[in-house]
Amino acid sequence: MQSTTKIILRPWNAATLILRTTIISLIVITGYAFTTFNTRGVDFWAGVDMLGSNFQALLLSPQLKNITFVTMVHNLFITIGLGFLTTIFGAAIALGFALLAAQNLAPRWLTVIIKGLTAFIRAVPTVLWVLIFAVSAGLGSVAAVLGMTFHSAGYLIKAYAESFEEIDHGTIEALKASGANWWQIVFQAVLPSSATALLSWTFLRFEINFSTAIAMGAAAGAGGIGYDMFMASGYYLNLHEMGAFTYAVLAFAIVLEAGATRYKASLSK
Amino acid sequence: MPLLHIAQLSKRYGTDKYALDGIEFTVDTGEFVAIIGPSGAGKSTLLRCINHMIPMTSGDVFFNDTSTKALPAHTLRTHRTQIGMIFQHYNLVNRLSVIENVLHGRLGYKSTAAGVMGWYSTAEKQQAVEILQSLGLSDHMYKRCDQLSGGQKQRVGIARALIQNPKLLLCDEPIASLDPSAAKIIMDTLKDINQRLGITIIVNLHQVDVAMRYAQRIIGINSGKIVCDATPHDLTPTIIHQVYGSEAGELILDFGEQHAQA
Ligand SMILES: Nc1ncnc2c1ncn2[C@@H]1O[C@H](COP(=O)(O)OP(=O)(O)OP(=O)(O)O)[C@@H](O)[C@H]1O
Ligand SMILES: [Mg+2]
Repeated sequence: MQSTTKIILRPWNAATLILRTTIISLIVITGYAFTTFNTRGVDFWAGVDMLGSNFQALLLSPQLKNITFVTMVHNLFITIGLGFLTTIFGAAIALGFALLAAQNLAPRWLTVIIKGLTAFIRAVPTVLWVLIFAVSAGLGSVAAVLGMTFHSAGYLIKAYAESFEEIDHGTIEALKASGANWWQIVFQAVLPSSATALLSWTFLRFEINFSTAIAMGAAAGAGGIGYDMFMASGYYLNLHEMGAFTYAVLAFAIVLEAGATRYKASLSK
Repeated sequence: MPLLHIAQLSKRYGTDKYALDGIEFTVDTGEFVAIIGPSGAGKSTLLRCINHMIPMTSGDVFFNDTSTKALPAHTLRTHRTQIGMIFQHYNLVNRLSVIENVLHGRLGYKSTAAGVMGWYSTAEKQQAVEILQSLGLSDHMYKRCDQLSGGQKQRVGIARALIQNPKLLLCDEPIASLDPSAAKIIMDTLKDINQRLGITIIVNLHQVDVAMRYAQRIIGINSGKIVCDATPHDLTPTIIHQVYGSEAGELILDFGEQHAQA
């Protein structure tokens, strides 16, 4: 017998209602905004055309003018160094605190305190931490290192602690039952079991810190390729030079990615 | 000579009902004891109270005629080194090699630094190799544990317990995740350890027929209380039904062999 009632796949409820209202409002707002922009007499298609030629200058004809290739590489390494140093400092601090923030390794009250503090540290953006440290250290590389280390540590404590919490409870129990103490369990079971996860998080944070280091070069005067980019774009208005820097950054990002992938593969085999 | 005496042991998790309620029994050196009972009866809880993995609520556990109720941290470690434990899910460190996992059984005897760095003496390494040989694992010594089969992992677990030179082995459902032939190898190994090395064994089991075949003594637990404490010979279907709180005919029981011999 054929049923005539319509079968509803997505019944209406509060969640779908809110979702649809949001999507429709966004469409309406976007349409309205485009019709009311103050274009100051600039023709839209002329703008698109200029954007195209700018990108062409940026990407198709990179060329150094105000600094040499060697200086550029040197400055790239300053930026890499800033990213690397803050990641290593952050990781070292995080490793210790993460052990005290993992629920399977530390008393509950302690994990709550540490997790609460790191949540606060993470909630404040890296740039803001750099500026906060700039109050005492002055704007520059010291403030950048301190601020970025601080935020990295906050981020990695959470990531490491969660990796520790994910390891099999039974493994810890087995070593405890054989008389092993806390330090022995940490080094013989917890760290070997979570090594790959720790490494993945650290690489991820290094990628984040590398791009933050570029921004800090410009914004906090921390030097490196970020400062060169700032000068090329804001001072010399040289898009060709900007293009060269962009490619240098891109090249390093690719090397980093490939290296990380390969290292992780060799660890988990 | 009594090795272990459990005296009016009770355990309560938080404010739940008692998981163990006045357990009392004595185990002599060299005994092979099986503990049976339905899921949630308190079998795992009982084993974990014996080596203080969880604190007891009241009562006491005497090991070698010594009370273990209030052990200071240092003595607690020594207490645990004398008791090996084997688990249903093996609980090995999967990323480490077989021999490294076996040597973990020595950590309880080591200083913090030596344990942290993984420094083991030549004698310890030699003993590890010998134990692995006796369990038929010498070909797998340097394999990572996640490359082993379940039966092999359980034998590594047994090796890790044996290298503690324990007086007592606690086994929490050691064959529950294994196929029948691997399970037989494990049970035969435990029997052999019991007879050849004279190590006392307490094993939690879900299979009544396995308990009847291997154990000298069977303790049945239900809702945290001892329901029966008998030799396999004296265990009748009626008693088993009491342990599991079931009606006759509701259980899959295989008495053929034991009672044919009786
Ligand atoms: N960590 C815990 N916290 C709270 N209650 C627990 C905990 N562990 C066990 N229990 C409770 O204690 C009782 C006994 O559990 P136990 O694990 O000892 O049973 P078991 O006989 O080993 O069962 P199974 O055969 O399923 O392994 C159960 O009611 C269980 O819910
Ligand atoms: Mg259990």
